[in-house]
Amino acid sequence: MGSSESLLAASLTEQREGLDRGDATSSELVDASLARIAAHADLSAVVSIRDAAARAESEAASKRIADGKALSVLDGVPILLKDNIVQAGEPATCSSRILEDFVSPYDATVTEKLRAAGAIIVGRTNMDEFAMGSSTENSIHGEAHNPWDRSRACGGSSGGSAAAVAAGLVPLALGSDTGGSIRQPASFCGVVGLKPTYGRVSRWGLVAFASSLDQIGPFGRRVSDCAAMLEMIAGHDARDSTSVPEAVPALGAAMTGDIEGLTIGLPKEYFVEEGVEPGVLARVREAIATLESAGAKVTPVSLPHTEHTIATYYLIATAEASSNLARFDGVRYGRRADKVEDLQDLYMRSRSEGFGAEVKRRIVLGTYVLSAGYYDAYYGKAQRVRTLIRRDFEKAFESCDLIVTPTTPETAFGLGAKSGDPLSMYLSDVYTVSANLAGLPGLSMPCGLSDGMPVGLQLIGKPLDEATILRVGDAYERLTEHHLARPPETN
Amino acid sequence: MSALPEKYEMVIGLEVHTHLKTESKLFSPAPVQYGLEPNHSVHPIDLALPGVLPVLNERVVELAIRLGLSIHATVNPLSIFARKNYFYPDLPKGYQISQFEEPVVSDGWLDIEVEVGGAGNGTGKGKKKKGAAPELERKRIGITRAHIEEDAGKSIHDIAIAGSDDSCIDLNRAGVPLLEIVSEPDIRSAQEATAYLRGLRSILRYIGVSDADMEKGQFRCDANVSIRERGAKEFGTRTEIKNLNSFTSVEDAIEAEAIRQFELIEDGGEVVQATMGYDPERRRTSVQRLKENSDDYRYFPDPDLIPLRIDPARIEAVRGELPELPEEKRARFESEYALSAYDAGVLTASRTLGDFFEETAKLSGAPKQTANWVTRDVLRELKERECELEDLALTPEILGSLIKLIEEGRLTARNAAQIFPDLVTDGGNPEALMVERGLEAVSDVGAIDGFVDEVIAANADVVQQVRDGDDKPLNFLMGQVMKASQGKAEPGQVRKALAAKIRG
Repeated sequence: MGSSESLLAASLTEQREGLDRGDATSSELVDASLARIAAHADLSAVVSIRDAAARAESEAASKRIADGKALSVLDGVPILLKDNIVQAGEPATCSSRILEDFVSPYDATVTEKLRAAGAIIVGRTNMDEFAMGSSTENSIHGEAHNPWDRSRACGGSSGGSAAAVAAGLVPLALGSDTGGSIRQPASFCGVVGLKPTYGRVSRWGLVAFASSLDQIGPFGRRVSDCAAMLEMIAGHDARDSTSVPEAVPALGAAMTGDIEGLTIGLPKEYFVEEGVEPGVLARVREAIATLESAGAKVTPVSLPHTEHTIATYYLIATAEASSNLARFDGVRYGRRADKVEDLQDLYMRSRSEGFGAEVKRRIVLGTYVLSAGYYDAYYGKAQRVRTLIRRDFEKAFESCDLIVTPTTPETAFGLGAKSGDPLSMYLSDVYTVSANLAGLPGLSMPCGLSDGMPVGLQLIGKPLDEATILRVGDAYERLTEHHLARPPETN
Repeated sequence: MSALPEKYEMVIGLEVHTHLKTESKLFSPAPVQYGLEPNHSVHPIDLALPGVLPVLNERVVELAIRLGLSIHATVNPLSIFARKNYFYPDLPKGYQISQFEEPVVSDGWLDIEVEVGGAGNGTGKGKKKKGAAPELERKRIGITRAHIEEDAGKSIHDIAIAGSDDSCIDLNRAGVPLLEIVSEPDIRSAQEATAYLRGLRSILRYIGVSDADMEKGQFRCDANVSIRERGAKEFGTRTEIKNLNSFTSVEDAIEAEAIRQFELIEDGGEVVQATMGYDPERRRTSVQRLKENSDDYRYFPDPDLIPLRIDPARIEAVRGELPELPEEKRARFESEYALSAYDAGVLTASRTLGDFFEETAKLSGAPKQTANWVTRDVLRELKERECELEDLALTPEILGSLIKLIEEGRLTARNAAQIFPDLVTDGGNPEALMVERGLEAVSDVGAIDGFVDEVIAANADVVQQVRDGDDKPLNFLMGQVMKASQGKAEPGQVRKALAAKIRG
């Protein structure tokens, strides 16, 4: 392996040091990344590549770095964006036929921030159409594969970003998480994924699925890498009315390795034998024991409304989605059906041809739950239950500093295993959706393997307290070597 | 058009959409400007590109508070933006952001003036006594709510513009901030409806909330109309006439619809809830869409926007900066300047006219004369020239000094009227103009006696008639003297001199 290849496989901190020391230039690192993306095309993790632009940008970055004028810790580092985060002049298909030829004329806030920090966006990653799915199988770009076992799903909806980071194509990528779409694929692919507190990262330029739940967050191979990327993208944005005004604390400084005296809450509703893969439960319990050995205390907590989370989530998410996706009408941009007879025909056919089955299912469901006569019974009630779920967490956090659970009840399932059964697919979000409903930060990190496949440990924090879950996650990495496990090299 | 028979009365509620006077749109930084090329004021937010988010224009909140306070309403400390979902090509997001269950303003009222005996009797037309100011009484119209929402774009189906039978879309208007102001069904005639609209428009302009120009589509009205037998407690089934864009249309459409409903009922039919269109050419309303087929808008709170919270201190701050409102100004004009209710009403119909009057009156020192000049001569000029007060060269300084000249006896009213149009067109100094044209009044007794002697000598037979006891020709002789003096003789003195010389 050449120096640029080995640097590509390293952590962000090591990459920064290597670049600044001149072990490799940004151009070499970006070339290595582009080469590795090409070599792993069979993963279908990356759906569009910015090779010429990325090379030009990396040359400029190489010069800056050589002059000792690196813009940030990310300067010159190759990264990927999920295909629902827009970049000016680049496609944003959201894996949908309806946006197949769409090119965004503007940058998302996160895109702007990352570019200003010198990060080199090398391409865009595969996802479930409009972020609706848990397997990255609902995609016009084809299903994405899990680098650990290509016959299995990499999770979703941000499966492409998780697979790309796991396969070492880039050190960092952005995803979005509406009900677990960062944490579940991170878990399936054995990488770190962080969903920040709702409002922590601007949604300007994130193609909306469910506005009150969506949040952008980083994927990385190390907790500290994700912390560095979060610092870069977080902060109040006047263009997003739901972004929070609170300043982002220095997250790096919080990661001291010391977790002595912290209290970890274990929700009893999440630690049930039924429906959970034994290997998953075993790895998570081992992880908790490790944290205890480092001085953390463990206490049982209860989240009594857990059984209603999936129903609540799917009512709210589909309702918002049915409205958010109304703009894809074939009138101003995106796919327009040919030879339409009238306006009704234009709408019907553009949308029928443009959207995939899962998106249609959710639009229909969401339209139904908002309709007159059903609103109170469905959407109204779901909002009330959402409040109860939020209160469950408030109560639980009175007795603990963070909550630890499995990220998913099972490791990566086989491709096609659930695609015919939407309900069982929805149930794979059972541990992740509550953090979205309550707006809480959630981190998934690898904690070992079960039958050769990665298991994810989920850490849920108090609102705006990413610092604590990052600190605990980082401490866990210092105590274990699970973060060093890599999928087999097949190419 | 026939009138609604006395047996019935109309029940009318109005929904007004008024564009707000802001620099930029409700949720995007695109400028609000009229008369631009199509799609030249469009931001990615207005296009509803994937990933964009709305950000509330705080200026709109300010204006909504102003309106709320001006109509004696509650400005709610918390209101919610909701999505009204429907598909239409000029609605880019597929939903309109509006307020539904919790509007920013609720429970207000507006007093209107209606002709005594003119209310509730169908058309009320032909009741005005010719020439005399009508006798007015106050009536209070409840205002249910006012809420903030965004306008849609425009669909253009005109083949001449589109260049084919395709439809074109102009999104300049998409996202322009509106207040929808909904009245209670307290209105009982078409005239009350327009009185309400005029009152509302006047307030909106006074407080700088809207230019409310109907021709520019900045002030649009939907009318809910039903009829019932006088004395009935229940409302009849109502229909909604959409998009009325002139006061004449409002009056005519309401009357046409009331009569349509009456004829329907007389024929044994039944009024069906419907959305009506109005054809001003044929002066007829017709059913556009039955309400039973109406869309389900699937309102829900917009998750991209946070609830609108208005601090009581903010409301008080706005209250402190509110200008004097029309009704307050009218009451003050009546007491301070001893004007009639009618004149005070006319002078306070717009803030600019009221200010113009007040400044002129201060300069002239003669409020009543000033009120006459403004309500009669100035308004006539505006009507004839079809323009606004600001378009005239006439200023309060000019009119004030003109009236002062009359009051001082230096210029006759007749000669003042003669130079007035020039002052209106070109401005200038009335006194200089008077001197330049040699119009200064002659009050010198000797000079007037000269004119009188001249006229008596030339009209011996007429003078004889007067001496024989017929007073009628006196006016003729007056006129002759005025003519001889080129209008400059002070009429009171002329009359005195004539009487003295003829009758001895």
